[in-house]
Amino acid sequence: MGNFQVSDDLLDGDVRVLRVAGEVDFDVAPQFKRRISSLIEAGDRQLVIDLSAVEFIDSTAIGVLVGAIKRLRAVGGSLAVVCDNDDVHAIFEAVGLENVIPLHGSHQDAFAALAVTA
Amino acid sequence: MHSLRLPSPPERAGRAAVAEPFEPVDLRLPARPAELKRARDCVAAAAADFGFARKAAYELVFAVNEAVTNAIKHGSPDRDGTIGLTIGAEGDSLVCSVQDAGPFIPPTEKPEPVSAESGRGFAFMSALTDEFELLVKPAATVVRLRKLRPALVPSA
Repeated sequence: MGNFQVSDDLLDGDVRVLRVAGEVDFDVAPQFKRRISSLIEAGDRQLVIDLSAVEFIDSTAIGVLVGAIKRLRAVGGSLAVVCDNDDVHAIFEAVGLENVIPLHGSHQDAFAALAVTA
Repeated sequence: MHSLRLPSPPERAGRAAVAEPFEPVDLRLPARPAELKRARDCVAAAAADFGFARKAAYELVFAVNEAVTNAIKHGSPDRDGTIGLTIGAEGDSLVCSVQDAGPFIPPTEKPEPVSAESGRGFAFMSALTDEFELLVKPAATVVRLRKLRPALVPSA
């Protein structure tokens, strides 16, 4: 267990921001997935996942993000990811993931992306 | 106690030592997701010992974490409930091997690269290391990951 933590806030315009910290691996990915699912089930449609405080994210957790993007799209919602961690950027680029899950450098950029894809 | 430190290998004649001789690591990990953190910490420490720069170390940790995850998720533990992780030096490379006691189960579906939610483990392992080998034995599956230590900046 790598000090995984998650907290969320509802902002103006019904945008839910989910802040994730620590290490998100196969051990905590189910917990991460349940948290996102419960928000979508409760009616959230505009989701910003902030990975700025994440030290490590594995392919299982990346799969959770891909699943959430698909799930939200299916109900007319959208999801944007904020991450300014160079290590995580490099990992995404290594397998061409940056086109599947764009990583935004700031909340502002992520909000703009939501508005475009919504 | 799951770790066992083996004595360091004899120094190879004629090779200029750039760091202290690397001590190989031979670890048995209980096949539980909660052990992934320990596996990552162990690889990170070995990579630092071996003189890897931060980025290369992170890439190796990521790749090995994927291999250990696969072994826990799809593999079979040994009779004592563990999987193996060894780390050794081969020339200028660090070689990490992850072994479980089960037969290799090939992925059932080809992931669509764009939208797949899983199945990226091998792509990561191959992209983030210099050599990625899958050794399928009758009663064991071994993933071997080799990463070259980036050359040190030559002194002028």
